[in-house]
Amino acid sequence: MNWREWQGRQEVMELGSRFVSYVDWGSGPPVVLLHGIPNWSYLWSGIAPGLAESYRVLAPDLLGYGFSDRRDRFDRSISRQAEALEAWMDRLGVVDATVVGHDVGGGVAQQLAVRFPQRVGRLCLMDSVCYDAWPKGLMAQLGTPAMARRLTPERLTRFLTQALKRKGFATPQTAEMLEGLLAPYATEVGMVSLSRDAVALNTNQTLELASKLGHLAVPVLVLWGEKDGILPAKYGERLAWDIPGARWMKVPNAGHFVMWDAPHAVAMELFRFLEGAAPVSHSTTRSVAEELWGSEAPVPA
Amino acid sequence: MARVRQVSEHGAEGGVERVYHELRRTMRVTGVDVSLRTWAAYPRFFVAMWEALGPNVETRAFEESALGLWQEVLDSTVQWEALGAWGTTRLGPSQRFHARGALELFETMQPRVMLMVSAVRMALEGQPVGQQGALGTSERLERGVPSRMAAMDWVAEKPGDAVLRTLFADIVKTVGPPGVPGEYRALGCWPSYLETAWRRLKPRMKDEDFQRASERLLESARRRARALPYPVALSRERVSALGENAEAVLKVTQALERRSPALLLNLSRLVQDVPDMLRQPMPGASRLVPDWVAAEELR
Repeated sequence: MNWREWQGRQEVMELGSRFVSYVDWGSGPPVVLLHGIPNWSYLWSGIAPGLAESYRVLAPDLLGYGFSDRRDRFDRSISRQAEALEAWMDRLGVVDATVVGHDVGGGVAQQLAVRFPQRVGRLCLMDSVCYDAWPKGLMAQLGTPAMARRLTPERLTRFLTQALKRKGFATPQTAEMLEGLLAPYATEVGMVSLSRDAVALNTNQTLELASKLGHLAVPVLVLWGEKDGILPAKYGERLAWDIPGARWMKVPNAGHFVMWDAPHAVAMELFRFLEGAAPVSHSTTRSVAEELWGSEAPVPA
Repeated sequence: MARVRQVSEHGAEGGVERVYHELRRTMRVTGVDVSLRTWAAYPRFFVAMWEALGPNVETRAFEESALGLWQEVLDSTVQWEALGAWGTTRLGPSQRFHARGALELFETMQPRVMLMVSAVRMALEGQPVGQQGALGTSERLERGVPSRMAAMDWVAEKPGDAVLRTLFADIVKTVGPPGVPGEYRALGCWPSYLETAWRRLKPRMKDEDFQRASERLLESARRRARALPYPVALSRERVSALGENAEAVLKVTQALERRSPALLLNLSRLVQDVPDMLRQPMPGASRLVPDWVAAEELR
C-alpha cells in the first residue's frame, strides 16, 4: 500500500481546537497502533491489513505528526499526547484496547498505561523510547530552532532518508516506503512541525514512569529488533525486567523499524500476544481479584 | 519576465521576517502567500510597502472591502456550471478535511491580497491610493489567527512528482507569472483532485463572460483600493531611493495584479464546488485595546 492510499483511509476527529487523523480499519477487539518520530501511522501499513482481519485497528497520527494537527499551538510531549489519545479513545467509544507503541509512540503508550490504566488492556512496546535512552542526537539537534532554520524541506528529507537507511533498518527497504514514511514532513509546514515534535522529546517523561512500570497490571510484550541501531536492545531487556510478567522478544535480523524488517515475525508475535488469553481489562482484573480477596481487593495502579 | 526568487517564511530574515510576522497577525492567516513572498525578494521595498499599507490592512474598512470583493467574485460565478471536481475525486475523510481547510484559508486570504496588490500597483504608477484619514481614526480589527484556520501547507514550486510538475507548468502558463499561485500549490497536496479541478477550470478561463468578470473585478479592486481609509505613501521614486529596482518591482506587481481576478474566479468555483462550505468563513472581530496602546502602536 503506498502512502497516498493509506492517507486516503484516514478519518479525522476534532478534539477541541485540534484534530487527529487516524485509520480505523476492521472490527473486533480494538488494537491501537502508535508510531514514533519522524514517522506517522503509515509505519503500520505493512501489518495493519492482516491485523484488521481479526481486530479493529486504530492507528492515529500523533498530534503534530503525519496529517494530524501540525499548527504551532500545542505541546507535543508524550504526556500531552497520552491525554489527547485518551480523549480520542473516549470519543471513539473505545473503553480499553491493546496499545502497541513504537519509538516515541512507545513512550506515549507507557504514559497512557500508567496514567489512564483503564484504557490499556494489553501493552506492547516495540523498540520504544524509555528511561534515558532518548532523544537521540539527530532528533535532539532537529529540535533546536536554529538548526531547523538552516534546513529546507528538500534537505531535511534527504538527510532523514539517509539517516533512516543507515540506522533504521537491518534489511534494504524500497525508496517508495522511505518516501512514504517521511511524506508529511516534505513540506515547509511539515518540516517546522517535525522540529516542534523534536523539541518536545523529553527524557524526564519516561524517567518519571520508571518507578511506576512495576505496577502495570496488564499483559505486556516487549518486542525489539535485535539490531536496533537507534534504541539498543539493552533498553528493551531493562523494560521487560522492570515490568512484572512482561514477555521479552528479540526479533533476529531486524533493526529499529522492526515491523518493516521482519513483518511476518512481528505480525505472528502480535497475534500470539493478542490471542494468548482472554483480553484483560481492569474491570476483569478487579473482578478476578475480588473473587480471590473479596471487597478488600487492591485496585490496580 | 525574469524569474523572481520567493522568500520562504522559514528562510526570511531581518525586516522581511518581521513583516511576515506582522502580516500573518494582521491579516489573520497562518501563512504568507506567494504574491507577498515574491515581493519579499525586494526586501527594502517590501518593508516600505508594509509601512505604507499596513495601517490600512488592519482596519475594518479594509476587511469589509476585501469581503465585498470576495462577494462580487462569488456572485460572478454562482450561476456558472458546477465544477464537479470535489464530488468526483476519490479522497478520504481526512484528505477532504485538509483540502476544505486549504480552500477556507485561501478564500479568506486571497481577496485581501488582491486588494493589497491593486493598491501597491496604483501607488507605484503614481495614482492616488487611500483617502486622507489621519492614522488611528479608522476602526481596527483584532490581530491573530482564528483557531480553526488550517496551516498553510503546500508542495514545493518544483515538486518531485512529474505529473504535478507538468500541471504546475500548465497553470503558470495559463494564469501568468510569477510562479505557481499558492492555492494551487496547496491543492497540489492532493494531485488527483488538483488535476481534475484544473482540467475543468482551464477551458472556462477563455470564455467571454470569464474575461468580462475578470475586468469587472479588476476595476472593483482598484476602486476599493482608492477608498482605503489612509493614504498609501509609496512610489517608484521612493523604491528607487531605497536602492531597489523600481521597474522590476512594478513589473512583478503588474503581473500579480493581472492574474488576480482569474485566480479569484477559479478559487470561487473551487469553493462553491464543496458542499456546505462557508462563503465568508473567518470574519475579523473588533479590536479591544485601550486607546493609549493603539496610539503607541501607531507611533
